Amino acid sequence: MNHIDTQIINRDAVFCSNVVKAFGRGETRTQALNGVNFSARLGEMTFVIGPSGCGKTTLLSIITGVLAADLGHVEVLGTSLAELKGTMLPRFRGENIGLVLQQFNLLPALNLVENVAIPLILQGVREREANERSIRLLEELGLAHHLPKHPYELSVGQQQRVAVARALIHEPRLIVCDEPTAALDAETGLKVMHLLRETVLSPERAIIVVTHDDRIEPFADRIAYMIDGRIEQVVGCDQYERVL
Amino acid sequence: MRSLALKILFGDRAKLFGLIAGVAFATVLITQQGGLFVGLMTRVQNVIADAGDVDIWVMDPSTEQVNLAKPMRYAQLLKVRGVPGVASAAPLFKANLPVRGQGGKARTAMLLGVDNTTYTGITKRFLIGSPVNLRQPDAIAIDRVGFMRLWPGEPVKPGKILELNDRRAKIVAITDAAAAFSAQVILHTPYNRASKYVPHGRNRLSFVLVKVPTGIDPKIVAAEIEQRTGLKAELSQSFSEATVRYYLKNTGITINFATTIILGIVVGMAIVGLTFSLFVNDNLKHYAVLKALGATNFRLAKLVAYQIAVVTFIGFAIGTGVAAAFFELVSSPTSALRGFFIPWWMPLITLAVMSLSIILSTSIALRRVLVVEAATVFRV
Repeated sequence: MNHIDTQIINRDAVFCSNVVKAFGRGETRTQALNGVNFSARLGEMTFVIGPSGCGKTTLLSIITGVLAADLGHVEVLGTSLAELKGTMLPRFRGENIGLVLQQFNLLPALNLVENVAIPLILQGVREREANERSIRLLEELGLAHHLPKHPYELSVGQQQRVAVARALIHEPRLIVCDEPTAALDAETGLKVMHLLRETVLSPERAIIVVTHDDRIEPFADRIAYMIDGRIEQVVGCDQYERVL
Repeated sequence: MRSLALKILFGDRAKLFGLIAGVAFATVLITQQGGLFVGLMTRVQNVIADAGDVDIWVMDPSTEQVNLAKPMRYAQLLKVRGVPGVASAAPLFKANLPVRGQGGKARTAMLLGVDNTTYTGITKRFLIGSPVNLRQPDAIAIDRVGFMRLWPGEPVKPGKILELNDRRAKIVAITDAAAAFSAQVILHTPYNRASKYVPHGRNRLSFVLVKVPTGIDPKIVAAEIEQRTGLKAELSQSFSEATVRYYLKNTGITINFATTIILGIVVGMAIVGLTFSLFVNDNLKHYAVLKALGATNFRLAKLVAYQIAVVTFIGFAIGTGVAAAFFELVSSPTSALRGFFIPWWMPLITLAVMSLSIILSTSIALRRVLVVEAATVFRV
């Protein structure tokens, strides 16, 4: 932590104010978020922790712009998501946000290089260049021997590394991880978290991790505890040095 | 993005095969049945096509098509010859009758009796001999395929004897006359002799074939003939079209072929629609991932459209190839289906019909791609 410029740390990558989201109507109506106030800072790894159904994934969906809030204000990297109309929102997400998902969601028809190159191709980068950058990144992440393989030929830990590479390839300033260790055993989960902490996190980048897994809490700079659609408590942590 | 679309498409070989098979199946049916239909419609006007340079066909006013002519009195020919603007007018006798080859088989024949001296209306395609050979006693010309049907396996050459209504006819020439709609054998002989082979009936003149001098509008001459003789006079082209229209309107050919073609489209599109729906269902989470990673709906629509286009193109190419191979195999000059072919515009029509059908049948699946929520990537 001490290597990070304190001025950068204080900048909010994500700022949510009084965010409300409900699903369904009438008797089936479910209040997923009930006035959430949340922030995540550049240079920090912020965890969102809470029981199942508390609204963690809904909050993540709203931060990434794949769901729209019913009420409230959501600002990501200084941009109000409500102001992004039409194709601006997916473009903004494609350029500024990297996703690491619980089930990795790699495309089985594509090999590792092609999977990782997708965000670049969606931004209009030529396929050849995108693949070259993808290869370089996969080599950096220790997957050099697996480049031509397809996801189903890898272990789950390796698949999650590929997913991390896909989240990083376009150098986004916000990485959002949804239960990144849920499908992994303890040892592999810790390795992935080390990867995120050591390689992915930087002063110009924020990471938000939604998790149930209390084994990885020591990796957090801050933890937001969520219950019944609200952030109940935010605590700062200084435990990372202990897991190293 | 195209490469991505192709890899996703080719990643599921079983469904890709199903999609291509569906398109190919429909394409084969449309093209093959369409080709057969066009071939049949060509056959119904074979006499007109073989007559070549005849400008005007004159007939009884009640005659609607070339294969069903009400005979006229021979004197009508003389009246037509007297109309200003007529360069030449020749008689044509046309009748269907049973024929038996001596030492061979019995078949149905179309007998065409042409002008004794000018041979107007006779086919131009003589393989062995020429119209002049018909001057010999009992001489008759037969088409090659007709000969092969009467004497299967025997070499095609003049000299054989035919029986027409118990009368003798000697083959002196072999033609490559255009195939007829119903008759299996096509015979040409001079007008006077032809009428002897079909002795019943007082009137024998089926048509008067008129040629018009160069520079004179045949339409004007046709109108003049109608006015002066009370007969019906049609230009060759319009008589061909009238014949085709007659068959389209008065036979079950159209409905039969249309039913087969529509069934082909429906079955083919059902296969394509269902398979593509399964393909999209299986890939829906991947489309959602692409959306979550920043793909716009427009880009996704382009990706899916590209996949559909590739499947359409491959299936269409295979289907057209199979249909072409069918006609190549069955429509040789000596086969029963000779003359059947795929007109150049048939594949274009097929492609248009297929594209439209595929767009309709895959639009529901495409809609699902467009409405899938990127948020589903966060759900397990």
